[in-house]
Amino acid sequence: MTATAGFIPYDAVNTKSSRKFERQAEYAPEDFHKHVFELEAEGEWIVQRVPDPYVEVMTKFGRKKKIPLELTWHHKSCGQCGHIPGYSTSIFWLNRKLNFKYLDPTDQTSCTAWNYYASATSNAAAQASVAMRNFAAAYETGYYPIIHCGTSYGHYKEVREEMMHHAELRHQVRDVLKKLGKPMVMPEEIVHYSEWVHAVRDRIAAQQKRSFANISVAVHPACHYYKLVQEDAIYDPDIYGGQRTATVSALIVALGAEVRDYSTWFDCCGFGFRHILVQRDFTRSFATRRKIQVMKEEANPDVVITHDTGCVTTLDKSQFVGQAHGLNVGVPVMSDAQFAALAMGAHPYRVCQLHWHSTEYRPLLEKMGIDHEAAWAEFQEDLKTLKSGEKEYLTWEDVG
Amino acid sequence: MAPDSILIIGGGPAGLEAARLVGDLGAKAVVVEKRDHLGGTPIAENYAALTHGFRDAEEAVDEMIRGVTHNPNVEVRLGSEVVASEGGAGDFKVTIAKGGNGASEVVNAGAVIVATGFQHFDPGRETQMYGYYEYDDVITLADAEAMLKHHKFVKPSNGQAPERVCFIQCVGSRDRQIGNEYCSKVCCGISSKQAIEIRQQLPNSKVFIFYIDMRMYGYWENEIYWPAQEKYHVQYVKGIITEIIRKGDRLLVRGEDTTMGRPMEVPMDVVVLAVGMEPSRGTKDVAKVFGIKQNKYNFIDVPHEALDPTATSVPGVFVAGAAAGPKDLDDSIGMAGAAAAKAVAMVRKLARVSA
Repeated sequence: MTATAGFIPYDAVNTKSSRKFERQAEYAPEDFHKHVFELEAEGEWIVQRVPDPYVEVMTKFGRKKKIPLELTWHHKSCGQCGHIPGYSTSIFWLNRKLNFKYLDPTDQTSCTAWNYYASATSNAAAQASVAMRNFAAAYETGYYPIIHCGTSYGHYKEVREEMMHHAELRHQVRDVLKKLGKPMVMPEEIVHYSEWVHAVRDRIAAQQKRSFANISVAVHPACHYYKLVQEDAIYDPDIYGGQRTATVSALIVALGAEVRDYSTWFDCCGFGFRHILVQRDFTRSFATRRKIQVMKEEANPDVVITHDTGCVTTLDKSQFVGQAHGLNVGVPVMSDAQFAALAMGAHPYRVCQLHWHSTEYRPLLEKMGIDHEAAWAEFQEDLKTLKSGEKEYLTWEDVG
Repeated sequence: MAPDSILIIGGGPAGLEAARLVGDLGAKAVVVEKRDHLGGTPIAENYAALTHGFRDAEEAVDEMIRGVTHNPNVEVRLGSEVVASEGGAGDFKVTIAKGGNGASEVVNAGAVIVATGFQHFDPGRETQMYGYYEYDDVITLADAEAMLKHHKFVKPSNGQAPERVCFIQCVGSRDRQIGNEYCSKVCCGISSKQAIEIRQQLPNSKVFIFYIDMRMYGYWENEIYWPAQEKYHVQYVKGIITEIIRKGDRLLVRGEDTTMGRPMEVPMDVVVLAVGMEPSRGTKDVAKVFGIKQNKYNFIDVPHEALDPTATSVPGVFVAGAAAGPKDLDDSIGMAGAAAAKAVAMVRKLARVSA
């Protein structure tokens, strides 16, 4: 199966160079698939195959990557569940609306990559063991791992590189898994949830209930999605001429909204890992001055769409600082999954849970044709049933 | 008996010089060139002046072309590619396809000289931090060379003369992240030469070069590097450029001044990326046709480079110029002469033995 692409023109790749720019597999770093299957043949691990049905997408140097459509095991993100619960709820809601079978496991281990990238803790064997433990947990259920967190996703791909090339590390990890009674499993592909959203964007668009034709979007591509093991991120010649990852941007185009460009698209959101932990003022300044302010001045978008927990949190929850100082900020921020869910008619509070977001989003909802006051009143009624003890929590039947 | 003819693949400076010398030595040379003209990259990419000596590139290469086209011992096949080879040293039977029309011929040659050269690194391939395809005013050395050749160095976005121009060195070279660990050898010299040319053509401009190390081999030091600073006031800044963004109608170059140990932000009108060398498509294709070993960067592998710089892994196949790795013009011409002499000597020796 091949996905069709939206289109963001980028003529320079055809005209600027003396030869037309094209992605060529020969420039790609080594193809991990070969090693992964060789190690399986040598009995080092089991390779969990991407289940049917899947969509084949193109990665940076023209290789194909299989994205499973269903039977997915959802590896969630710490910060996502804690700060922006509507993010993961929207992912599950999309799966349900598209009639895809999935599993929301309760025995996932946190990946420890945040502290690793902040130069704070852990070691290669511990990190690899956590990754392989989660892969094994997915394999045991018969579902295929799909990673919500950009950092876990990027980190696990780095772990895969280490595991492929270091027999001693494999030996250490095998010992740990043995104690846990789990098998050594490496997935055929390591898949980010936004790659799944990308792969099903046409199906989402086919069920679109709200027109986004008047919505302008600035896209923040997440560093840990496309800057770690960069050859494995999705690119498409129809999206910026294959010069930027197509993930997120292609979805926005498919939903009929307008992608607006800004010059600091390549920059980090400000999270910075170490900075958010030990120098948070820097994070706040960076997010507002280098990202949101530049977006406002150059693109003036209605909303910022990104695809990682840290990015949504940082870009959204830093803006209050800029507002206090009178900076030109104030753009709502959400994930591609929340944006797609809204397009398909999801409830802004019951599903997308935008009340957890800091920056004013209600004018955006109005522009999307959503009566946010009525929606909020409905949500308040839900809360009354919880308060009264009539219900312990909301169910999928409640959210529609 | 081994045929007294040498097949030369590539009609750039190395191929031209090899063909001329083969002809002058009294052997037959057949030059196969993929493009529809001779002259190689200096002509195809509109080089302005040669780095060594500042001689007009077109005039110099034209002289080399005449040395071949006026040589009765040299035949030229333009618009043609080598597609297959049989036999070995002393008796190669090489199939040459004429582009487009399906015609082909088989040339019998005693030896082969590969002079298929390099191509410039494409700055849009790996990271997008310099925005080559994003900003009109971010260009490459080759783009700058073409403008300098026509004495019209402008800011591409508006056609106006730029006030501030900078060069960023080592784009696609000395970069472990992308696997090109090697130095491309010529970019420091070419950037400095172009900086001088820009100052000559636009005396009111300010020109900067951001570099890791300036590698000014031999006489480039006194001929280019010091005059660039002392006579033309080109400013060399040791530092790492991390990004380029748009700022109004200018570009903002950001990075670290490593001498001063502080971050810098410098507005520029034009940014020139000093792109390095990679093996050309022709080099990679020809290596496969003849089964020549390539090194990890896909250049032709030269087993004993220091003492035998034109030998390849295949007996009877020699290499000259940038097909064997980053080379300047001096290297290429020197290698071409050596390859021509060795190829002719080898076929004559084989002829004597078989006689």
